[in-house]
Amino acid sequence: MTDRRSVSRRLKRGLGLIGLVGTFLLLAAVVFFYSFTFAHLDAQAAMARASREMLEHVALPVAILMIPVTVLVLRVIRQAFRPLEEAAAEIEAVQGHERGFRIDNSQMPTEALPFTSAVNDLLARLDEAAKRQEAFAADVAHELGTPLALLSLELDRLEHDDAERLKKDVAAMRRLIDQLMLLAQIDADAVAQIPLAQISLSDVASDVVGAAAPAIIAGGKTIELVTGIHAPVTRGRREAISAALRNLIENAVRVTPAGGAIQVLVGPGASISVRDEGPGLPPDRLRNLVQRHRRADHASKDGAGLGLAIVERIMAAHEGTLETDPDRHELILRFPEP
Amino acid sequence: MRLLVIEDNARMAALVADGLQRRNFVCDVAHSLTAAEDAMGGATYDAIVLDLGLPDGDGTDWLTSRRKYHEMPPAIMLTARGALEDRITGLDAGADDYLVKPVEIDELAARIRALLRRPGVRIQPVIEVGRLYFDVANRTARAGDQEIDLSRREADLLELLMRHAGTVVHRAVIENALYSFSDPVTPNAIEATISRVRRKLEDAHVTGALHTVRGVGYMLKDNGA
Repeated sequence: MTDRRSVSRRLKRGLGLIGLVGTFLLLAAVVFFYSFTFAHLDAQAAMARASREMLEHVALPVAILMIPVTVLVLRVIRQAFRPLEEAAAEIEAVQGHERGFRIDNSQMPTEALPFTSAVNDLLARLDEAAKRQEAFAADVAHELGTPLALLSLELDRLEHDDAERLKKDVAAMRRLIDQLMLLAQIDADAVAQIPLAQISLSDVASDVVGAAAPAIIAGGKTIELVTGIHAPVTRGRREAISAALRNLIENAVRVTPAGGAIQVLVGPGASISVRDEGPGLPPDRLRNLVQRHRRADHASKDGAGLGLAIVERIMAAHEGTLETDPDRHELILRFPEP
Repeated sequence: MRLLVIEDNARMAALVADGLQRRNFVCDVAHSLTAAEDAMGGATYDAIVLDLGLPDGDGTDWLTSRRKYHEMPPAIMLTARGALEDRITGLDAGADDYLVKPVEIDELAARIRALLRRPGVRIQPVIEVGRLYFDVANRTARAGDQEIDLSRREADLLELLMRHAGTVVHRAVIENALYSFSDPVTPNAIEATISRVRRKLEDAHVTGALHTVRGVGYMLKDNGA
């Protein structure tokens, strides 16, 4: 299979064959042409003569022709395929920022253009489809808002033991919908390329921790903010960064047992870490959660995977990363140094 | 306390009003901005609960234009759009607070109470948080029937925390409220005042009400209800 697909191997084989056939034909010609003349000479002299004739008229011409041709052909092939290899590396590197990516056609050989253009068209159609899908998800989330609001208000009136349990379910549903709306928003923003502002990470962290604290304290846990002397800044969208941090804190609250503490640490560098008292999240599991919205044992039943996937998207939009340090029980938002 | 709920979905409006009534608010309902204006002509409200999209106009625009010419009670905006930008526009338009729908009535009630505790909202001789009472005019506090003896600065701090009960008051806000520019604030000054207030609250059997959110600020929380 691989033999059949490799162009340079097929060329090498073809050139080898041409070399062999050429050598054979030349040999035949030499033998045919000289056979009469050598008939009178004694055997040893004839052999030496024949060998020299063959070297001169067969090996030399074949070598002179075949070696440069082989070298040249292989070089042309390699050069022709290099833009494709580069495009492949670019495609590989673009992981996580696929939206809007196109293969650069300017360096492509003419022969490859129909293929790369078709791939670009496909990418455009996929972008379009993803956009439609997200707009649809946002619409659905939006439309669900009113019936869900009515449902939770009706439950509020219900004085029944089950009401509390149902309220919790509705609240989980609501969080999920909020997350979907946020996801749609991030992508809309990424497309709109809204200009970024200079943002103090300490300010954002202070606001988010302050807003999250009442519910955390009511749940019997504590949260604190640790800031260093330096006030790291980054370029970005404040609301999006707040949403990312909020999601990390929600995740930390979920995995921290009652009575536990959550720490939000600003720095070192342009980063915010959230430390919980959960079991710690190994990197490969974080990757699973983020990439496939798959839930690890770490998480519970209310869309933790989606929450972290959103954080990852927000970080990607800021050219930053979401990292995990399982030993320190931390999830880290790392922004590019300004 | 009398509230006006402006919401075009009749069922939603009725449910919100009903929920708030069960939490001891008096509620009127308006299904459109015109109806809201009529209602406001006939009665004085302590706060408004405003939906963004209404049949005869946008809640944000209405609030902005009305704020220009009328004395308006504080407004909480309900927005069904979870969009990040809309929240900010709502606050710019003069809404004092916002909630993203679907709202929890408990949350809404808590936010309204917090709004009503803000300075400048009608005459509030006494701020009440659970068992705690603060007399704004006399600057005295009591827990139930028990007087709490406070210094001027402690009283200022307790008032500030009570006005924002249920939310975290940031250190910078406390610094600005308690100390003038010329007054140097030593890093421990606020902590010392807080711990004195906390001790006095505990002496008055109000325990676990004053929470520290380290690195951010402090919160007074009504543990009772």
